[in-house]
Amino acid sequence: MSVSSSSSSSSSSTSNLLLLLLVSSLDWLSTRGSALAMDHMTSSAPVGPHFTECVSREQETFRCWWSPGGFHNLSSPGALRVFYLKKDSPTSEWKECPEYSHLKRECFFDVNHTSVWVPYCMQLRGQNNVTYLDEDYCFTVENIVRPDPPVSLNWTLLNISPSGLSYDVMVTWEPPPSADVGAGWMRIEYEIQYTERNTSNWEALEMQPHTQQTIYGLQIGKEYEVHIRCRMQAFVKFGEFSDSVFIQVTEIPSQDSNVPFKLALIFGVLGILILILLIGISQQPRLMMILLPPVPAPKIKGIDPELLKKGKLDELNFILSGGGMGGLSTYAPDFYQDEPWVEFIEVDAEDADAAEKEENQGSDTQRLLDLPQPVSHHMNIGCANAVSFPDDDSGRASCYDPDLHDQDTLMLMATLLPGQPEAGEDSFDVVESAPVIERSERPLMQTQTGGPQTWVNTDFYAQVSNVMPSGGVVLSPGQQLRLQESTSATEDEAQKKGKGSEDSEVKAQKELQFQLLVVDPEGSGYTTESNARQISTPPSTPMPGSGYQTIHPQPVETKPAATAENNQSPYILPDSPQSQFFAPVADYTVVQEVDSQHSLLLNPPPRQSPPPCLPHHPAKALPAMPVGYVTPDLLGNLSP
Amino acid sequence: MNPITLFNATIFSFITFLCCSLGLLSLLVSVVWVVLVYLLFCSRLLSVGAAPICTNAQAGCHALSLANLFDRVIQHSARMHGISNDLHSEFYFLPSKNQIGRVSRNCHTSNIFTPNGKENAQRMAREELTEVILKLLVAWRDPLWHFQQSIAHHHDFNNFSTNKALEMSDMVHELRKGVEKVAEKMQMMGIISNSVSSLASPEVLMPSDSAEWRLMKDYDLLYCFRRDSNKVQNYLKILKCRIVPEHGC
Repeated sequence: MSVSSSSSSSSSSTSNLLLLLLVSSLDWLSTRGSALAMDHMTSSAPVGPHFTECVSREQETFRCWWSPGGFHNLSSPGALRVFYLKKDSPTSEWKECPEYSHLKRECFFDVNHTSVWVPYCMQLRGQNNVTYLDEDYCFTVENIVRPDPPVSLNWTLLNISPSGLSYDVMVTWEPPPSADVGAGWMRIEYEIQYTERNTSNWEALEMQPHTQQTIYGLQIGKEYEVHIRCRMQAFVKFGEFSDSVFIQVTEIPSQDSNVPFKLALIFGVLGILILILLIGISQQPRLMMILLPPVPAPKIKGIDPELLKKGKLDELNFILSGGGMGGLSTYAPDFYQDEPWVEFIEVDAEDADAAEKEENQGSDTQRLLDLPQPVSHHMNIGCANAVSFPDDDSGRASCYDPDLHDQDTLMLMATLLPGQPEAGEDSFDVVESAPVIERSERPLMQTQTGGPQTWVNTDFYAQVSNVMPSGGVVLSPGQQLRLQESTSATEDEAQKKGKGSEDSEVKAQKELQFQLLVVDPEGSGYTTESNARQISTPPSTPMPGSGYQTIHPQPVETKPAATAENNQSPYILPDSPQSQFFAPVADYTVVQEVDSQHSLLLNPPPRQSPPPCLPHHPAKALPAMPVGYVTPDLLGNLSP
Repeated sequence: MNPITLFNATIFSFITFLCCSLGLLSLLVSVVWVVLVYLLFCSRLLSVGAAPICTNAQAGCHALSLANLFDRVIQHSARMHGISNDLHSEFYFLPSKNQIGRVSRNCHTSNIFTPNGKENAQRMAREELTEVILKLLVAWRDPLWHFQQSIAHHHDFNNFSTNKALEMSDMVHELRKGVEKVAEKMQMMGIISNSVSSLASPEVLMPSDSAEWRLMKDYDLLYCFRRDSNKVQNYLKILKCRIVPEHGC
């Protein structure tokens, strides 16, 4: 029994506990849910009269709207009355709405009846003072403020992206006029929302208190709808949205970046065209000189440039050799008057006057032997004379052949001076290793006559009769040279001077003129130095051995005087050839080939008609030169 | 002439010439040095002077600094009101509008006469308005401190709330100092008279039933403070737009 009683008591206690728990939970739930229930009451159950909302637009007045709810008998105007309680003092009491608007079921509280920061409680009462609400509708004015929407919404295009696909827009507006922002009574922050037109995917930008905002990344071609709303700072309730504005930017061909470029291009081309036209039209010599500097061409002072053209060597030689006008003197007409920019290289060493024909030989020889003497040079000058050749290149190939031994060359040159026809002994020594030269051409000696051309006074060509072992060369009297057509051709070939002797030799095969070579006593081989130099000169220069225009006979006479001086030279020079005949022995042959020993294989010489009379050169009675190959041992037979 | 004297004269003249030249040289050097030193110091002074501290005695930078002060104070009050709003809204599960009716008693600052509308506030004298602001701020110093203490010990609230409460109580303190400075400046500038008594002794402002706030519940405290911080913000803005309206009104 006791057990059962205890158990029953325990069970009852537990059940009591459970009941208690249940009740408390229910109570708690009820308290929690009552508020929820309040909200749901309006929607779920048949609703009684209630206030829908009270709103203040500018925090100075407010309105309250009510609705009869399900009680349609109360929907007639005046059936429901609004009472409010303003809790600004402990002795406040309920008052009726100061201003009704039954049409809208609105109660309006004007400025005099509105107090901010004061709790208001609203009540709906029927005719018989029946209150229809369990709880009053209480609020403070600052909490029910919903500002009017901003006005003057407008947008401007900020920029377009470089790709031309998107753009930015600056939206501006003004605060609602009803809100007194200027006095600081309301501090408003704004929210912009935008969407593509005809869609409702509104995108809201961040709230901010300024009256402008940038919308980034709108796409070109699409139309956007933008509207704005605002609320009090640090409060919750937003105002209404403003009217929408529509933004659309269509495709704009971006010419801005291209236009200046195109303009620059056009102007540049125009400028160049104008410049070319000006240049073409003006034809000013100075301008032409600056812009199109003249290409140097052979220009010899005193000689008509027409003669310098191809195929006119005869006249040129004639002129150069002194025929007609007394040679190239200062009296020669100035053919280059209209071209002031033409510069003739003047002789810097000696005056033209001083270089008389009589003294030419001596001066030439002097110059030759005195190495440092500057040599007159002109284009016709053989470069062999020059130790210090001029640096400026007036269009002719450089004469300097570094391969040569200058000294030897000069020595040889000296020996080859024509017009030193000394009757000196002819010592024909055999040059051992030196190849025999059948024909020799005398390098063109430059003498300085009155003009730049100094060819005139000397006997240009002399035949080397013999070569002495000491390196001296025995010359035969000068010969008349015939100008040949091939001179120009050879000249061109000779332009390539520094080549090996073989080259010129080979070339010489083609021409009769070129034959010869200065013998190098050292046996270092041929040197076509003289040849080359001569060849390089314009055809006006008398080519060695070829049919050049004859040298003026006058210089021939002067030669003996010059040669007299050279008696000291180790070289035995033949008398200057008085006659312009070929030496009976010497003649020109064509070099067939050159063998390994640098000997020349010559062609048989052509027949020469007149026998040379060499009254002045008894020593020069050279034996007939053997035809063909002359070996050194045969040289002994040559000695008279 | 005596040759000796002549000699002496020449020597003397030569020496004077030397001295003069040397002296000139030294003078030049010294002048240059002085100029350099002057420039150095003057630049420093100028740099300091370029941004003059607007002390009370200085004229010419008053207007700008007062507006600056006002701006700072208004920003401060706005932030304070924001925090109070956050705390109030998150403090309770349902910040229902009907909770207002539940306020059992009025806020302890209800006895402070505050203008309840725009026109009232604008009509009020500047000194009065300033005094009202200061009274409000002073009245909330202790309650907020205690509030912050109480919720710090209650483990119901997260750290975020407790931090906000602490920040709020600090802000009231700072704001009060700021407004006092503004009042001082205005008094200095003669904008308001020296009748603002709250600056002298804050205890004068305290209502007699100063312990009334201890009886308030936390929710009521937050509600009241939220309202009062809004008042303070409004009054400050009105004051600023009345006194220095040129900057952002």
